[in-house]
Amino acid sequence: MNGIIVAMLIAILRLSVPVIITGLGNMFSVRAGVMNLSAEGMMISGAFCAVLGSYFTGNPWVGVLCGILGGVIVGAIHSLISVEFGGIQNISGLGLNMLATGLTAFLCRSMFGTAFSPTVASIQYTRILSNIPVIGNVLAQLSPIFYIMILLFLICCFIVDKTVIGLRMNAVGFHPQMVETAGIDVWKLKHISVLICGALAGLSGAYLSIGQLNTFMDSMTMGKGMLAVIAVQMGKQKPQRTVIIALIFGFFDALQLRIQISSIAIAPELVQTIPYLVGIIALALDTSKNAAPRLLNPYLKNKYKF
Amino acid sequence: MKNKTKKSPIDWAKILSPVFIILIAILITSILILAIGCHPLEAYHYMLLGAFGSFGALINTISKMVPIAFAGLAVAISSRAGIFNIGLEGQLLFGGLGAALAGLYITGLPALIHIPVCLVAGMISGMLYALLPTILYVKKGVGLLVVHIMMNSIAKLLITYLVSVPFAGDNKMIAATNPVQDSARLPYLLTSPNKLTIGILIVITTACIMWFYLNKTTSGYELRACGDNMEAARFAGIKTKWYQAGVLLASGALAGLAGSVEVLGTYDRFYDGFSPGFGFDGIPIAMLANGNPFGVLVGAFLFGALRIGSLNMQIKAGVSTEIVSVIQGILITLISAQYILRFASNKLVNKQKGEVTQ
Repeated sequence: MNGIIVAMLIAILRLSVPVIITGLGNMFSVRAGVMNLSAEGMMISGAFCAVLGSYFTGNPWVGVLCGILGGVIVGAIHSLISVEFGGIQNISGLGLNMLATGLTAFLCRSMFGTAFSPTVASIQYTRILSNIPVIGNVLAQLSPIFYIMILLFLICCFIVDKTVIGLRMNAVGFHPQMVETAGIDVWKLKHISVLICGALAGLSGAYLSIGQLNTFMDSMTMGKGMLAVIAVQMGKQKPQRTVIIALIFGFFDALQLRIQISSIAIAPELVQTIPYLVGIIALALDTSKNAAPRLLNPYLKNKYKF
Repeated sequence: MKNKTKKSPIDWAKILSPVFIILIAILITSILILAIGCHPLEAYHYMLLGAFGSFGALINTISKMVPIAFAGLAVAISSRAGIFNIGLEGQLLFGGLGAALAGLYITGLPALIHIPVCLVAGMISGMLYALLPTILYVKKGVGLLVVHIMMNSIAKLLITYLVSVPFAGDNKMIAATNPVQDSARLPYLLTSPNKLTIGILIVITTACIMWFYLNKTTSGYELRACGDNMEAARFAGIKTKWYQAGVLLASGALAGLAGSVEVLGTYDRFYDGFSPGFGFDGIPIAMLANGNPFGVLVGAFLFGALRIGSLNMQIKAGVSTEIVSVIQGILITLISAQYILRFASNKLVNKQKGEVTQ
């Protein structure tokens, strides 16, 4: 029984890492008033670039850096369109998802001939920690990216509440005009927040491909980016709440996997729908509608007005 | 500046920006094909040949365009009222399931009655699936976007469950229901060289009705007024909430029809995963066509050609079919940047007339 609980806990932590990292990134973007549906595309781009980096250099950490870069590229396109050029954020996000998913699959097939990349050097375990007594073996089963995630979470909590740039980002989301009047570059802040989102989503994509596995597959994100978007929405753009909701998603995902391998006669698909149903109910019962909403639409530069 | 653009009788800027979009998309795709070591012109040649090269290929393209066109019309009607419906995929799946169940379990009807019953069942079930987000949006002001994304995810999971457990067919090898009754199958217009069902007639009729409704009726005018300026429409006494709810449900019904026609016409049963994302195909088409029903038909024809032609391109030129979703992604991304394209083409037009003064 003890073994099952530990296995379950590890499964929850492993499965919620991508949603948590992407969620933290997405939170910055939404706080600054840029709805970012392209999280999925950033993740898949990160996953593919991470495998490429690891494949060509043989060093998984170079892969992680490439993954971050892959996410930032998608983020840069998104911020160029929706922040700089006043485009339609949601449609840009959906388009980039489709583009990134299609492009990675296309390149993977063109380079390797199949929907899978060859296996590459990966960072699935943290061997150093196995020397710690009692819990060392458990801790060593998690990827180093998991520990990076904990660090990131603490940094994010600090940035959003305690630093000038975090507070300004929040203000931009509510009153861009006011922030501009105060002499702050609205667009620079928005660009930065979308790029942060791209970097974090790219990192979580790298976790999917070389932190959890050692290969890239076609559309391997399987809706995890959208889960992160939902987690941010339900968590009201607070880092702590977002992480808790991502952990709940991870719990149901782990439960569903456990049911699949056991002989319990519940359809795993039904278990997987639970978090979504809970999400819809939570949104429906949300009573804080009267608070001033975040402005999730572009704030146009004067030179582009006509 | 603002007045000067209004003066020109033909809005060249409006015409130029879709042209820009398509040209840029072709350019990027060509670079991509070159990058993997194939010749772009050769690849396009095989794509066109695969889509229009023979009468049979043309028939294939036309029958592929039917569900895409319905999805496009579904997005179009909601976008004309200023609402963006991305819950199409889930509504389409449930519409298909509703039609399949009506075709499977209602027996003893002649085809003339059975087919409309199945289509209506599909429409109603698509509409019902759109009901919850609609109520939440109109009554409680919950954002449509996130709810629709969640509803899409739920639909995919639920459909997999429903098709593999309660409504599973006798053949356990495939996740599908049993075939529908013969009386529920859509009759063929042509059977050789390739099959073409009456689905294409239904979609053209739907587009005509929609055009007539939008352009020739008072209600259609009020709907467009909501889309142009929601606040102004509300102050003019138009019941904007009713129109919002109405177009969302109508959009769900059209998406359901897309699924039904595909299930009853192409597969004769409900397959898990019969839709390769038809719901998402509808979005770029409707936006490129600016919500015009006939524009949607043209767009759907081109997208059908893209899907059919890419198969030939993969076999003959070695460019994998994933290029389709790359092209679609580029198109959607560029459509989202339409504002800046319109701005650029506006500048271009004005510069030619020598009206721009620094």
